[in-house]
Amino acid sequence: MNLLFVILLPLLGALLPPLAIRFGRSASAWTAAAITLAALLFALEPLTTVFAGTPLEAHWAWLPQAGLDIHLRMDGLAALFVLLILGIGLLVILYARYYLAERDPMGRFYGLLLLFMGAMLGIALSDHLLQLLVFWELTSLSSFLLISYWHHRSDARRGARMALAITGAGGLALLAGFLLLGHIVGSYRIVDVLDAGDLIRAHPLYLPTLLLILLGAFTKSAQFPFHFWLPHAMAAPTPVSAYLHSATMVKAGVFLLARLYPALSGTDPWFFLVGGIGLATLLFAAYTALFQHDLKGLLAYSTISHLGLITLLFGIDTPLAAVAGVFHIINHATFKASLFMAAGIIDHETGTRDMRLINGLWKYMPHTATLAMVAASAMAGVPLLNGFLSKEMFFAETLHLSALGALSWILPAAATLAGVFAVAYSARFIHDVFFNGEPIDLPKYPPHEPPRYMKIPVEILVTLCLLVGILPAFTVAPLLDLAAGAVLHGPVPAYSLAIWHGFTLPFAMSLVALTGGIALYSQRHRLFALHDRVFPEVDARALFWIAIERVMDAAHAMTRALENGSQQRYAALLLLAALAAIALPLLGGGVPLGGPVPAAPIDALTLLGALVMMAAAILTVVWQRRRLVAVVALSVVGLVVSLAFVRWSAPDLALTQLSVEVVTIVLLLLALYFLPQQGPAESSPLRRGRDLLLAAGVGGGVGLLAWGMFTRPYATIANYYVENSLSGGGGANVVNVILVDFRGFDTLGEITVLAIAAIGIYALLNNLRLDMPATDAGGRPWSGERYPLVLAQLTRFLLPLALLVSVYLFLRGHNAPGGGFIAGLVTAVALILQYMASGIDWTQQRWRLQYHPIIAAGVLIAAATGAGSWLFDRPFLTSAFGHFHLPLAGEFELATAMLFDLGVYLTVVGVVMLILANLGKLTQRCAACKEGE
Amino acid sequence: MMEAVAALTLAVLVTCGVYLVLRARTFPVVLGLSLLSYAVNLFLFFTGRLVTGAPPLAGGSAPVADPIPQALVLTAIVIGFGMTAFVVILALRARGELGSDHVDGREEER
Amino acid sequence: MNHWIIAPLVLPLVAGMLSLLLVARPGLQRALSVGATAGLLPVTLLLLCFAGNGEFGVYPLGNWPAPFGIVLVLDRLTALMLLLTAVLALLVLLHAVNGDDRRGRDFHVLFQLQLLGINGAFLTGDLFNLFVFFEILLIASYGLALHGGGAERTRASLHYVVLNLIGSALFLIAVGTLYAAAGTLNMADLAVKVAAAPPENAGLLRAAALLLLAVFGLKAALLPLHLWLPALYGHATAPVAALFAIMTKVGVYAILRSYTLIFPADGAGSDVGQWLLPLALLTLAAGAVGVLGSQRLRVLVAYLVVVSVGTLLAGIGLFNSGGIGAALYYLPHTTLVSAGLFLLADLIARQRGSHGDDFVLGPPLAQPTRLGVLFFLGAVAAAGLPPLSGFLGKLLLLQAVAPAQAGWLWSIVLIGSLAGLIALSRAGSRIFWKTAGDRAVAGQAPLTHLAPAAVLLAMSIAMTVFAAPLIRYTEATAAQLLAPQQYINAVLGAQP
Repeated sequence: MNLLFVILLPLLGALLPPLAIRFGRSASAWTAAAITLAALLFALEPLTTVFAGTPLEAHWAWLPQAGLDIHLRMDGLAALFVLLILGIGLLVILYARYYLAERDPMGRFYGLLLLFMGAMLGIALSDHLLQLLVFWELTSLSSFLLISYWHHRSDARRGARMALAITGAGGLALLAGFLLLGHIVGSYRIVDVLDAGDLIRAHPLYLPTLLLILLGAFTKSAQFPFHFWLPHAMAAPTPVSAYLHSATMVKAGVFLLARLYPALSGTDPWFFLVGGIGLATLLFAAYTALFQHDLKGLLAYSTISHLGLITLLFGIDTPLAAVAGVFHIINHATFKASLFMAAGIIDHETGTRDMRLINGLWKYMPHTATLAMVAASAMAGVPLLNGFLSKEMFFAETLHLSALGALSWILPAAATLAGVFAVAYSARFIHDVFFNGEPIDLPKYPPHEPPRYMKIPVEILVTLCLLVGILPAFTVAPLLDLAAGAVLHGPVPAYSLAIWHGFTLPFAMSLVALTGGIALYSQRHRLFALHDRVFPEVDARALFWIAIERVMDAAHAMTRALENGSQQRYAALLLLAALAAIALPLLGGGVPLGGPVPAAPIDALTLLGALVMMAAAILTVVWQRRRLVAVVALSVVGLVVSLAFVRWSAPDLALTQLSVEVVTIVLLLLALYFLPQQGPAESSPLRRGRDLLLAAGVGGGVGLLAWGMFTRPYATIANYYVENSLSGGGGANVVNVILVDFRGFDTLGEITVLAIAAIGIYALLNNLRLDMPATDAGGRPWSGERYPLVLAQLTRFLLPLALLVSVYLFLRGHNAPGGGFIAGLVTAVALILQYMASGIDWTQQRWRLQYHPIIAAGVLIAAATGAGSWLFDRPFLTSAFGHFHLPLAGEFELATAMLFDLGVYLTVVGVVMLILANLGKLTQRCAACKEGE
Repeated sequence: MMEAVAALTLAVLVTCGVYLVLRARTFPVVLGLSLLSYAVNLFLFFTGRLVTGAPPLAGGSAPVADPIPQALVLTAIVIGFGMTAFVVILALRARGELGSDHVDGREEER
Repeated sequence: MNHWIIAPLVLPLVAGMLSLLLVARPGLQRALSVGATAGLLPVTLLLLCFAGNGEFGVYPLGNWPAPFGIVLVLDRLTALMLLLTAVLALLVLLHAVNGDDRRGRDFHVLFQLQLLGINGAFLTGDLFNLFVFFEILLIASYGLALHGGGAERTRASLHYVVLNLIGSALFLIAVGTLYAAAGTLNMADLAVKVAAAPPENAGLLRAAALLLLAVFGLKAALLPLHLWLPALYGHATAPVAALFAIMTKVGVYAILRSYTLIFPADGAGSDVGQWLLPLALLTLAAGAVGVLGSQRLRVLVAYLVVVSVGTLLAGIGLFNSGGIGAALYYLPHTTLVSAGLFLLADLIARQRGSHGDDFVLGPPLAQPTRLGVLFFLGAVAAAGLPPLSGFLGKLLLLQAVAPAQAGWLWSIVLIGSLAGLIALSRAGSRIFWKTAGDRAVAGQAPLTHLAPAAVLLAMSIAMTVFAAPLIRYTEATAAQLLAPQQYINAVLGAQP
């Protein structure tokens, strides 16, 4: 349980400092410190058990389905990292309290710092690959937010985004790698993975797994060639650099190497990849560090090179090398954190980090100078300091290596060379900053010692460097032993932490490094000149941003190219898809197109109809640009369609089609009134050809489908309806009974569609301003005052008749062709005629019809009819009917279905009137506004 | 024979409809959509096959045309009407808002 | 007889029509609309509890037995989609009543009927009735897409409308072909008849299956039929765009339903079985490219929707319980989060004055911290980073495919996440950090305006905390879908 608290305290505690800030900066700082201390307390009990030699495990079920349970485990390695994270974290919190300026939002800083702390502890304590990855990404996110802490600065923003992009990419690769690893082992538990080393190494997927995981580790630990994000992460406040970017987060990568060492190491790919990358990073970064003028830049590159050293040690792949790697993790954390803090103090007191300006600080801040110099010497690997010990172990290991055969001398040589550079840049850090003449116009002058408490953390760390350096056996030994044991997942080889092994070859290498480094530094002026001449400044950052911008521009261009906002293209793609959908099975399927059913003979009349229809359709296309004529051709098609319905025994359809036809044509004519009468010729012959081809394809496809279905035998559920229409639905007109009863729900939906269409159209017409086209056409009767008197009289006489007809159609609908829909349309058409003949004003003076309520009422009536059946605990829309005797009409049938049909009727009337009347109004308004001009 | 003619008619209707739908001005597109809906309604109607002189009225003993496709077509016609009306008015609106009856609201740049 | 099943349809229908009567009383209209939408929550929750124990609710409309009458069918999948819609709708509406609903006519009427269409599409067990509900939700969505007016909206809507009219025509052709070959419309009955169809009908059936894929693919924005989406979603009024987050999922739902029930991928739907996964991955890739290339926040979110469609269909395209289960967990996550981001983008745009949500140097926001935290939350969720639900969904998806043939899926999904990460960090940096001047140009948004977006984004946290029960449900759902016989028996066996 304690283990969980160790992680949860900082994670959840992250919310407190931002709240505590309103009680002052110190309050906020103290909260953060208190939380860290509490976590340390909770860690104590596990730590003791671990030091007693028994790893601690804890498990909570969370997401078995995703293989995601909470598995925590503290062994030596985890213990080491927990101590580093919490210990240095505490010091950083104290340091930051004095580092941050008054205007910096301190609550946010500590909150994010705690968030990161929790995530990092999670990485250390996870015993589950995926869970480790969750924390891994969390550290990337919190690091992103911490680097961009001063987000008004562009370098901070960009540095943060760069770090996030690179570590984030690594994290995704790591995810894939972990999934593969889990697949190989059959478990995501790290303990299981460690036990399955041989299985993993033998598995065909070993290499991809290794590559993906190393990608994650190398990006995180800023290994070449992914190193360049780290120097730019230095835009973060120095406490962050000290904590995340030297002591802990960048160690996550090498931690992963250590953690999975037993599972993945021991193969050539491991040796060459890890060792090679490590060596390259070590040399390259050590060299580059020497030429940095920014204090933090120098430290950043030195960090990279030390991470490379640790990586190389794990790559060398001998037990002792691994021990040395762990040891150097500890040492580097201590001296580099203190160096960053010292750099921060100098920055804080002088206002700059440029070593070309900062000189001779010795006499201004001797105390700080002493601390910094000790730490820098540790970095250089000077005897009696911790850096020396691990570095000597490293030299020794490079010597024992024989894997390279005849070329085995390369490694020690390279190591020594790296040592030389390390000494050189350490020397520069010391000499350039604290001696080397007088400071040159510092922003803050004269510099002086920082506040007392700001130095305490540095002092503590430097003391550690000394203690470990002088008395390794009494200080670090047990921890190192424990951690190394955990890494090796077995017995730790014998090694001695003595300072003096006699005059050995490694010692000689150290001496060479020291003297060589001093010599190199003494020649620095020539060297810098040479460097500038030989290596023109390659700014990885610039390259990265150019790359990113290129990618984004390319993405934008690609998207634009694909999605060019052309309706014609989108439609063509859709129709192409349809063509493929029809053509592939019919032509590719190997099934015969036609079926067994013989075709019926054709009579002349039908043939004529077909010919007329095709001709009319083609003419619509031909005349598309003479729009009025095209509408006429279209209407012919519609008429023939209704004839077709009559021809093949569908009177209801014929009636409906006919009435819809009338309304549609009126609508089109009205619309034409506002659209250019002539369409321009624009599409190129090529496009027309392409379109024609596509159209013919789709048309042919549909034709083939029709042919295919005509010629196939046919069994349907139709008979049921014919049989049950009278008995169950109380109507002889099966189509109507289906519409109002069997499938009444479709009809309810259908009138709803109509209603919505009307509402939408009303919204569209509302305050629509259209200029009157110069030419006038179809809409003439609407425009002027001239109402043809005859027509007016006629319609006024016709109207009642038409209404009568519609009532008749309505009533008979259930048993003979007709029904609410057709009746509604007839009514509407009659009313429209009224409008056309007598004009809006005349008509509206006579009936004040509000169409919205009519529509709503219609749909509601239909719905209520459906809901009525609930009263009898029947499902929605269950119909009932009975026969009644009326004195005059005689035997008379009344069905709930008729009520439903009434709803349909009202909706249709309302909808059609709403659309046409408002469009009519529009024409009038425009006529008016035209006369106004 | 009759079936072949019917299928051919459908093919022609769909071809014309599709070709018009692919035009660059709203009005031909509207015409094309109407043609398409005619064709689709016919297609749906034809799924009941071509039955002569037997409207689906119950009570008789003679076999009648399949009423289901007819009911479906009726619904389809109505919905089609609503949709056509909407797109027609939308075309007007588009011309009002975009000042052009091009489907992309801008004159073809050549 | 469980009448509750039809409540998710009757409620919005009546509410919509009543608010049409209340045009003159906007206040009342609002109250009615919110009330009705809120009412959907308990109802759908009830239905979820009912379906949760594996039962099927079959509601024969008009008391006619299937396959003759239309039936509504409630199973796990439907219940999940209904609840999701209700939650989304309520929050979106609460954002809209801050004023967006007054930027055009009859918003609430259209909104309610949009819900009617969506719920109907989820509930119906009849293919033609599905067509009808598609038309309802489409015509309503036309109205909503145009809500607020303006040139850009009109242009995008015109394209959307024309494309979907063509789509409807294709839908009818597919239904007709299916009826001609199988002689029925009820989905369960179709499943039986299609499975038993004589070999000479195979051609027609395959054509119908593929045509339906084109139709549903258009709704779901499956490449290459996704091109209409970014412009439409990028320009629609914020609440509308947020509500539309569920619209693509209707298409996804239809695909999932059709190709597990009517055309099982290992049977009549074998073409779809082969094509869906590659198409989905291409969609994902195209969406990721769009995300990288977008220069406005809303457009970026629109492309995130495309990415999510690709991810969902990739999971479904695996046609195994793992993939479908993963998709079903990812579906609510991505719907709610992208909706939340659309609303958030609106809040941001309002506070940046004339700069709107373009990625250009703009003034500082009035509420940088609140909106910033929300954006960070949404970005992490949308990019699929740990620990939020987006990560879990993608994790489940990656695990659903055997590593041996995982290459494409893994790399595209992961690179897609990276693209999202880069683009979103850029967007956040440009909007929240890289600001000119030190004074906000706009006032602060009241809590009532912030809350809906906040809740939507916080859903991602909730989905993470309650991941275990959720995933248990979605896996049960996947199992139910992959064993369609239960569904068939339930529908055809149910005698009123």
